[in-house]
Amino acid sequence: MSHSFATKRVQSNMTTVQNVQNQSGDSMTFNSTRHRRWALPVAAVAAFTVLSSCAKDAPQDTWQPAGENSRRIADLQVWPFGIAGIVLLIVAAAVGYSVFKFRDRGQAMPKQSHGKPALEIALTILPALILIGIGIPTVSTLFQLAKTSDTECVVNVTGQQWWWEYDYPAQAGCGGIEKPIVTSGQLVIPAGQHVLLRISSRDVIHSYWIPKLNGKRDAVPGRVQTLRMQADQPGIYSGQCTEFCGLSHAYMRMEAVSLDAAGFKTWVANQLEPYAAPAAGTKSSEGEALFITNCTRCHQVNGILGSDGKEVIARPDKYVYAGVVPNLTNLMTRTTFAGAAFDLQTAACKTKLWNTPPDQFTAAYLEGVTPQCLDTVQLREWLRNPPAKKPMYADPTKLATTGGKYRGMPNLGLTEDQIDKLVAYLTERK
Amino acid sequence: MFTTGSKLFIGASVVALASAIIYGTTQDNSTVGIIGLVSATIALVFLVGINLWVRDSNVSADDASAAATAAATNATPPGSMWPLVAGLGAALLPVGLVVGRAITWMAIIVLIIAMVEWMVQSWSERASGDAAYNTMVRRRIMHPLELPVLGAIGLGVIIFSFSRIMLRLPAVAGAIAFGAVASIVLLFGALLAAKRNVGRSLVATLCTIGAVGIIGAGVTSAVAGSREIVKHEVPSFEENTCGTETAGEADTKASRAVAAKSNLAATIVLSGGKLHAEVIGVIGAQDTVTLARSKYSYIRFENLDAEPHRLVADFGTETVDVNGTAVETSFKTCTQAVGEGGAQFLVVRPVLPSSSSETPFTFNVPGVEGGIVTIVVP
Repeated sequence: MSHSFATKRVQSNMTTVQNVQNQSGDSMTFNSTRHRRWALPVAAVAAFTVLSSCAKDAPQDTWQPAGENSRRIADLQVWPFGIAGIVLLIVAAAVGYSVFKFRDRGQAMPKQSHGKPALEIALTILPALILIGIGIPTVSTLFQLAKTSDTECVVNVTGQQWWWEYDYPAQAGCGGIEKPIVTSGQLVIPAGQHVLLRISSRDVIHSYWIPKLNGKRDAVPGRVQTLRMQADQPGIYSGQCTEFCGLSHAYMRMEAVSLDAAGFKTWVANQLEPYAAPAAGTKSSEGEALFITNCTRCHQVNGILGSDGKEVIARPDKYVYAGVVPNLTNLMTRTTFAGAAFDLQTAACKTKLWNTPPDQFTAAYLEGVTPQCLDTVQLREWLRNPPAKKPMYADPTKLATTGGKYRGMPNLGLTEDQIDKLVAYLTERK
Repeated sequence: MFTTGSKLFIGASVVALASAIIYGTTQDNSTVGIIGLVSATIALVFLVGINLWVRDSNVSADDASAAATAAATNATPPGSMWPLVAGLGAALLPVGLVVGRAITWMAIIVLIIAMVEWMVQSWSERASGDAAYNTMVRRRIMHPLELPVLGAIGLGVIIFSFSRIMLRLPAVAGAIAFGAVASIVLLFGALLAAKRNVGRSLVATLCTIGAVGIIGAGVTSAVAGSREIVKHEVPSFEENTCGTETAGEADTKASRAVAAKSNLAATIVLSGGKLHAEVIGVIGAQDTVTLARSKYSYIRFENLDAEPHRLVADFGTETVDVNGTAVETSFKTCTQAVGEGGAQFLVVRPVLPSSSSETPFTFNVPGVEGGIVTIVVP
C-alpha cells in the first residue's frame, strides 16, 4: 500500500513539474508572439520619427535657421541636447545594469543600507554643475535675443482673428520709407538688416513665429512686445500663429519675405505708388464700382475715389470685431490672401518661387503675381462664400456676443458675374 | 375613541373646510383658492381616516413583545436645531422671491444645509442602540464637510470685519493699528511657543477674545461707515472739453504700477515746455508716434514741468450725414490735469486713418506752445 502510494505521489509530482514546464513554455511562446506583434509598429513609429527629421520640405524647421537669432536658438539647442543625451545614456545604462544584475533569481534579500553621504553629495553637485553649464549659455542667449538696440528699421505687427497686419511707419531706416505702408499676410524686410518688430494684438492673444528667423513672441492686446528679425539672404520663410486664438487659429499663417536692399526699396516704392483707377468701360472698372459698393465699408484701398470725388475711407470698426480688415491696395504684390492661408498663384509658380536661389529671389518676388502664375480659383471660392473656405464667426444671425460685429468676412451673396468683375478689379491691385 | 393624531387632523380638516367656505363666499374669482382649500380638506380627511384606521400605531397593552420593541421603549433622541434652521430657510425663500435673488439663494443654501444635516442626524440616531456610537458616526460623516465650511465662514467673517475696520480707520492709523495688532499676535505666539505646557483652554480663550474683538470692531466700523475716501474729480474729461483747466488733478500714484509702465505704445513726456515721445524699441526722443488703427493703444503721459497740465489726443473729426444734416463728430480725448512729476494713463483707439484728415492727428498739451507730438495712423 505504502509503495503504491509513494509511486503515485512521485508520478503526481512529475506530472506537476511537467505541467509547470508546459505552462512556462506556453507563457514564453505567448510573450514572444506578443513581443513580435508589437515590435514592428514600434520600430515603424521610431523610424518614422527619426526619418521625419530628414525632411527637406520643412519650411518651419527650427533646425534650419536662416537668420541670426534663429541660429542662436538652434545653436543653443545642441548643447543641452548633447548633455541630455549623455545623461540619458548613463541613466539608461545604470538602470539596465541594475535590472539585469540584480534581477530576482530567488536569492535571499541582500543587506539593506541607508545613506551614502559621498554619493549623495556627488549626485547633488553633478546636476547642479550640469544646470549651470546649461544655464550660462541659455541666459547669455536670452539677452542676445532680447537685444533691439541695433535694429535699423521698425515694422508694427498687429494680430487679429485670423490674420496679421504689418504697418511700416515713415522712417529713415532700411533705405527710407517716406510714407506709412500697410500690408498683411507677408512681412517684407530687407535681407541682412536687423528689423524691429513691434508686436501687438487687437482682440485676443496671438503669437508670432517665423521659426527660421527667430523665436516666438506673444501678441497681447494693449501691450507692445519687441522682436528682432533678420534674414541672412533673400528668400521666403513660413510661420504660424502659435497661441490658440479661436476658430481659424490653424489658418492664421504668415510669411516673411526678405529682399535685397535695392529690391526692398523697389518694394517700398511699389507700395507707395498712387492709386491707378481701371480704364473706363472695362470689366475691372465695373469691378471697382462693385468694390466701392460692397467692400469699402471694411476694406481700404488707398486712393480709391467715391462718386463724390473724395477718397473712400473704410470704417471696419463699425462692422468688424477687430476693427480692421486687410488693406487691399496692393493685393497682387503679395502671393497670398486671407491671412496667408490661400495662394494667389498656381502651385507650380509657388514651388518655383519658394525654391528660387537667393540671388534671383528678389527679382522673382517683385514680379508679383504674374498673369501666367495667377490662380483665381481660391480667390473666387473665397468671394463666393468666405466662411465655407475659412471657418469664421460671420453668421449675421449669431453676432449677439460681439455687439453685431463680424469676426471674419461674411458671405456677401455675390453672383458669378459680380465675382468675375471683382476678380478683374482685384487682380489689377499691384 | 379618537386618538391624539386623529384629533389634530380632524381639527385641521375642519379649519380647512371652514376656510374654503369663507374664502369662496367672500372672494371674487376665487376658483383657484377654493380648489386649493378643498383639496387640503380632502387630504386632511384622508389622513384622519388613516389615523383612525391605524390608531396612531398605538401599542396594544396585550402585546408582550411591544415592551421591548415599541418606540416608547427606545431612548429619546436629543433635540435638534435643524427643523428650526429649515423653517428659517423656508421662511426666507418667499421673502427672497419678493426682495431679491441674493436672499433666495441664501434661503436655498440654508434649506439644503438644514436638510442634509437633519437627514444625517436622523439616520445616525437610528444607526444603533448606542447613543455614543451614533454620535461618533455622525461626526465621522459630517465633520469633513462641516469643519472646512465653518472654517471658511469664520475666516470670511474675520476678513470682512478686518476690511470694515480698515475702511473706517484713517489710512495711516489703519497701518499703525494693524502693525500693532500683528506685533501683539506675534508676541503672544512666541510666548505660547516658548511655554511648553499651555492649556488648550488658555489658547482657545485668547483666540476667542481676538476673534470677538475683531468681529466686534468690524460690526462697529460697519455701522459707523467708512472714512471719507478721496474721489478724483473729472469734470473736464467727462465734458470732453480737454482745455487748459486744471481742476480735478489726478492721483499720480495710480499710474505707477509696473503694468502701467511696461510695453506701452508710447510714453509722452512734457519737459521744459516741450513734448516728446518715447516709443518702445526705438531709441531716442521722437516727435511722431505711429498708432495702429482701431487698436486700443496705451499711452502714458508724464509731466515733468512745474505747472499742472493735461495731455490731449486729437484724432480729427468726421462729418456724418444724419437725416440730411451734416453732423461733425470730434475724436478727441484727454487725461486729467497732472501735477509736477505726475503721470497718467490714456487709452486711445483711433478709428480713422491720418489720411482722412487735412490736419494732422496730434498729442498736444493745451497752453503749451511746443507741446505737440504728431500721431500717424496708417
